[in-house]
Amino acid sequence: MANTAYGPVQIQLIERSGKIVKVAVLVQPTNTLHDVQIGEFAFPKLISETLAAQSSKIDAVSGATYTSAGYVKSLQSALDKRS
Amino acid sequence: MTGAGTDARPARRRHAEHVMGTVVSFDVPASAGEPHGDAPLGRAVRWLHWVDATFSPYRDDSDVTRFGRGAVPLAECAPELAEVLEACAAISARSGGYFTTTPGGRFDPSGYVKGWAVERAAAILTAGGSAEHSVNGGGDVQCAGDRLWRIGIADPLRPGRLALVVAGRNLAVATSGVAERGAHIVDPYTGQPPAGLASLTLVGARLAETDAYATAAFAMGSAARDWVEGLDGYEAFAITAAGGTWQTSGFDRYLG
Repeated sequence: MANTAYGPVQIQLIERSGKIVKVAVLVQPTNTLHDVQIGEFAFPKLISETLAAQSSKIDAVSGATYTSAGYVKSLQSALDKRS
Repeated sequence: MTGAGTDARPARRRHAEHVMGTVVSFDVPASAGEPHGDAPLGRAVRWLHWVDATFSPYRDDSDVTRFGRGAVPLAECAPELAEVLEACAAISARSGGYFTTTPGGRFDPSGYVKGWAVERAAAILTAGGSAEHSVNGGGDVQCAGDRLWRIGIADPLRPGRLALVVAGRNLAVATSGVAERGAHIVDPYTGQPPAGLASLTLVGARLAETDAYATAAFAMGSAARDWVEGLDGYEAFAITAAGGTWQTSGFDRYLG
């Protein structure tokens, strides 16, 4: 738990074999509407980017079924071009 | 990467095959051969196209279409159709009817067929001598081999981003959610898209059942958590429409 100028923040990182596998925001400031907006936007972005930074270690991506056309925009298509 | 020099790992091949209305991505040893050859990769690709021709509800001449409209008896269809129907009936019973072969009112076992076809494609590769491979059928993945496979889970609320990474050996990972074509899974009891969930990921050992159970669980909405807790050998991770998450009690062991 960190007490910041904006209020307490607590972030949980779950790590296995030296890799971050899950990031969760346990406590975040909600004093003002601005705090809430930051929580809704910035924290999810931070979590996603933390995981994406490790995406070079990913073998495949699971998600709701894409169409043949939607595949082009999928993360899986980026992996398929890797070799 | 060629596998030569200091890289001790054998050379790999990635191949993306357009089939069954989606793309099936293969990650195989180079020894599995060419996608259009007689080697294991070619046999797996041909199998998927055979499944498409036989089981597609969008083709007038497929066994599924002809059987569904009563034009042919089951005995005159490919024997695999009877096998699929039997599996679907068992999954439907075990899911309290949330998995159904008549999702839109007409006969369509696709909710089972895709995962089953991909699982079997992976089995064709194993039988052909591949010790490590993954087959991803449009977002539902069968991994084979004792290495640790790492599968990113797409974030349904933030396209192009990952919500989580799951890891395991010889595992199947299936995600059901609101597809890009819109809500295509409906609660068979209400006819409406399930409320509350943006996506549900199920981890199991074999993709045929894992994929079908994921579809059923997604249709259950928030009731899915208790249902999956009662299923042996399966763990679930869900993202709610509001952006929250929940997971079943044993899911943690797949986090890396």
